[in-house]
This record gives sequence, C-alpha cells and structure tokens, in this order.
Amino acid sequence: MSETVQSPIDSTHRSGQRPMIALEGVSKTYPKQSKPAVAELNLQVPEGAIVTLIGPSGCGKTTILKMMNRLIEPTTGRILLAGEDVTDVNADQLRRRIGYVIQQVGLFPHLTIGDNIAVVPKMLGWDKRRVTSRVDELLHLVGMEPDDFRDRYPRQLSGGQQQRVGVARGLAADPPVMLMDEPFGAIDPITRERLQDEFLEVQRQVAKTICFVTHDLSEAVKLGDRIAVFAARGRLAQYDTPSEVLAHPADDFVTEFVGSGAAVRRLSLLEISRLELEEIVISGARAAGQDHPVLSVDGAGHPSTWQHVPGSDQPPALVTVPLSGTVYDAVDVMLDRRAPVVVVVDDDGLPRGALRWETLVADLRTKGQPR
Amino acid sequence: MTAAVPARAPGWIRRNRDLVATPVIVVVGLAGVLVYTATRQLDSVEQRALDPSYLWPRFLEQIWLTVASTVVVIVLALPLGIALSRPAAARIRTGTLAFGGFMQALPAYGVIILLAFLLGFGTTTAIIALVLASFLPVLTNTVVGLLQVDPALIEAARGMGMSARQTLLRVEIPLAVPVMVAGIRVALVLNVGTATLATFIGAGGLGEPISSMLYLGRAQAVLATSAIVAALALIIDWLGGVAERLVGGRIG
Repeated sequence: MSETVQSPIDSTHRSGQRPMIALEGVSKTYPKQSKPAVAELNLQVPEGAIVTLIGPSGCGKTTILKMMNRLIEPTTGRILLAGEDVTDVNADQLRRRIGYVIQQVGLFPHLTIGDNIAVVPKMLGWDKRRVTSRVDELLHLVGMEPDDFRDRYPRQLSGGQQQRVGVARGLAADPPVMLMDEPFGAIDPITRERLQDEFLEVQRQVAKTICFVTHDLSEAVKLGDRIAVFAARGRLAQYDTPSEVLAHPADDFVTEFVGSGAAVRRLSLLEISRLELEEIVISGARAAGQDHPVLSVDGAGHPSTWQHVPGSDQPPALVTVPLSGTVYDAVDVMLDRRAPVVVVVDDDGLPRGALRWETLVADLRTKGQPR
Repeated sequence: MTAAVPARAPGWIRRNRDLVATPVIVVVGLAGVLVYTATRQLDSVEQRALDPSYLWPRFLEQIWLTVASTVVVIVLALPLGIALSRPAAARIRTGTLAFGGFMQALPAYGVIILLAFLLGFGTTTAIIALVLASFLPVLTNTVVGLLQVDPALIEAARGMGMSARQTLLRVEIPLAVPVMVAGIRVALVLNVGTATLATFIGAGGLGEPISSMLYLGRAQAVLATSAIVAALALIIDWLGGVAERLVGGRIG
C-alpha cells in the first residue's frame, strides 16, 4: 500500500476488530431460476465503518444488502449481527434494530415529517416525550430546523430535504447498523455532493456501521472506508480500501470497472494535510528570499496578495484551499482560477504553506503507483 | 398549511368553492318542481300519492334500502378486496374481478325479479339484489387502490420493521382510502337509483308512487316524485364527493 494514500479504515481498526455484520456462505437462488443470484458470499463489515457495495447492475449488490436485514431471505448461509446469528430470528423485530434508507426515500405521504421519523421509535414502544425529543434531535442532526419541518408533509419538501428526512428516519431508533440502497441516486449532482458531505459529517457524530449500495464509483470512493466490488452473481471481486481498489485492482474485472479515471479519483482520497507543503515567507517578517513564495497578510494574519512567486514574473491571483481539503479540491481550484499555486490555510484562515502545480504533478508521479 | 388571509376567504373555502354548486342546483330545482306542483289542480289520487304522510315512509324506505345495501357491500367487498390485493392472491385476482364484472353487467331489473322468485318477495331480497348490483365498484376500487400504493413505501415500511399487517393498516389502507371511498360513492349512487326498482318485489321505496302514478297516467305526480328521487341521488353523490375531498385532502 502506498504510504501517501492512507485510508480512514485505520480508524475503524482502532475502534474494534469484531465485524458488526458478517455474511457466512450466503447464497440466494430465486424460485424458478437455475443459477443463484448470489453464490457462497462471505463478507465482514467492521464496526463503525462505511462499506460501499458497488458493481454493475444486476450483480446482486441490492440483493446482498436486502439479505442483511432479511427483506430477502437467503437460501443458504448465515447472517450474523454483532456476533449474533440472526438468520432465523423474527425478521420484523430484526429490522427494527437496523436502519434502512432507500433511493425512493419512501416517506409516508399521509404522515408529517415528525411522524415519519417517529415510526420505528413508536413501534419500539418509546414514550411520547422521548419520541418527540428524538425527532427534534434528528432533524437538527440532518440540518433541518424542527420547528419549521416537524409538522410539514413530505410533498412540501424538496428531493434533497426528503432524503435528509429519510436518513433521519433510518437513524431514528439509534440502530447500530444502517443499510442504504443508493440513497442519493435520484438526486441532482450538486445536491448529491452536499448530501454526501453532510452524511459524512453525520457519520462522524453517530459512528454507525453502514452498508451503502451505489453504482457511482466516485460516491463509493468518497464515502467508503472500504469498497466491496461485486461481479456477476454476487462474486466479491475485491474488498479493500478505496485507495487500494483504485491503485491495485485485484483482477481484470475490477480494472475494467474502476476504469481509466482511477488516477484522478485517487486525488480525492489524498488529503492536503498529508502533503509536504512548500514553505511560505510572510512579507515584512524577514527579508524576502528568491527561492520561497512571498505572501503579504492582513492585520489578522490572513493572506491578502502574493508579493513574489519564484519562477513567475507577475505574481498570480491569490487562491486559498483549506488544509482539511483534498488534493482533488486543490487541483479543482487551480484549474478553475488558472492559478499555478495555492495557499493552504488552516481552520483559522492562517497560511500554512503553498502548493504548486509543478510539485503536485511531480509529487503524484513519483509517489503514485505504476499502472 | 395555507394561512388564512383575513381580507380574503380562507383557503379551504376557496379550494372547495365548486362543492357549493350541486346543493344549490338541487334545492332550487326541487323547490321549483314542488312549488309548481303545489300550484296545479291535483285530483284526489295525486293528492294521496303526494301527501307527506304517504311519501315520507317511502322516502325512508328508499334511504334504508340504499344505506343497508351499501353497508353490506362495504362489509363484504372491502375485506375481499383487501384479500385480493395481497401478493398471494395475484393468481385469482383477475378471474375474480372478471366474475365481478359479469355480475355487474346483469341488468338490475332482471336480477331483482329473478331473486324474488328464488328468495321470496320483500326488503331482504331487494337488499341482496342491490348488493349484487353495486358490489363490483367497491371491490375493484379497493383492489386498485391498494395495488396503486407506491411499492417503495411498502418496501420502506417492511424495511423499517413493520409487519405485513402493520404495513397494511398503517400505510396501504390509509393511502388507498380515497380510491376506496370513490368506489363506495359509486355504489351509493347506483343503489339509490336502483332502489326505485324494489317496489316491483314489494319492498317499497320511492319507486312505488312513481310506478303507480305512471300506471294511472298522473304525469304531475310522477314528475314530483321523480324529482325527489333525482334530488336524493344528487345529494348522496354530493355527500360522497365531500367525503372523497375530506379523505383525499390530507394526502393529495
């Protein structure tokens, strides 16, 4: 594994080794079909991790997801939830312990937003006050003001808002596990991007074990601590961190599936904070050298303009990217603003270093994996 | 929802303004016919037929026939429709609905007379005949109403841990109610009209003065009683429409 591209899976290793969900030798053969839709699948989902299930349509990824909460009953094999064999327990009660979010959202149109979120807590017999406070808490969590939205009906919400409520409803009874079937698949690209960011933010707070079906590789890479790539008949072609899947496809199928955009996609996994940044000289602080970029700052220490950038006669426009961003973000603003160099700023807006196009390209070329 | 602007009519009045038309037309039309009749020179036969002490019991019989038969239809057709809408019944669904269509196609007049020979004359037989005549709309609408519920909602409900029964009661039926109510409205209107035929097997109703006055050639009395039946049918249809609006408004 490349040392520059480290994956968030490490944090899940720290949080615990035991798999939250385990499929053991699970097969599904539909009636009147000779060949199984999923054959002899073994899959372990570590606690607190987001695992994205991806594959071409018809590969059985949704079937696999639905076998986890037994919306589809496996023909053979065992399903373990937190170590407990749930293959034969009451399926309805099992599902109340597992959050479920689908692409069509499926908010009940005859119930208010609050009542939609409250469905599972009420089935579990929570008292009224606990349900009400949980609904408000969840609406806050997904960024919707409870007083504005609690009593509205689903049809009064935009698609993006509906899916926020869908996620909140999935989280309602605080289940340890969430199953999500292309939840952002039917949402416009800009809103989808925002929902993904919000979803990661929510996950940082709730730390659920999440299985997330998607057909969008960018989404799988962005959200997944691990990616499970499925080939036809639910064959698990590769199960690894996004960077490994992109850098070292396990076989020809994965290579083809990951496609030619893999190098660009990997940029979004590389955090700027992991890079060696070029030193910046603050003008006036000391004598300007010729080999470092020189930046002037305002009274609060925030960057204002470039004084000098080595190798260019005219100082370029000042462009900043946050330290918490990824190299993808940096490349994006560089291309967008036609800036060969960007200032990396920390959370307080203070300059932490510079990132140059030439070094970025050179750096990636040396540290990237041979293709 | 929509806040009422004090200067203007509240939203619910503006939205439902069209519902005012029917009762106004019915009241004006019926009053017109009755006032016209009152100004005419009526002979003793006509006077007896239009006397409230005679008409009122016939009116109540008409209502009783309509309501009783519709209630029986609801009690029988709703559960059958729910059962037919279950996936397990998919195979017999089409056949059963086709049989219902066949029953529907039989002329009510013939069914009433035939049943009277099979089951005897009287109100019970009339109600059975009315049930047969208005069974299909309720059955079909129940099945259709339940089948048109978005499968994603059922999947969401099951995925959240609702049992099949909870899904039916809390999601499917509430969402199918507007279509089911529309079916019941059709049954009511069918029944209130068909109930005028009950007189031929001795079950009374407003068909009695109509047919006897028709037989005796008293056009004025026929016009007046027919107007009452028509008004009753329109009002029942209107009530059904209001009910649809009420149950549909929440879901829209």
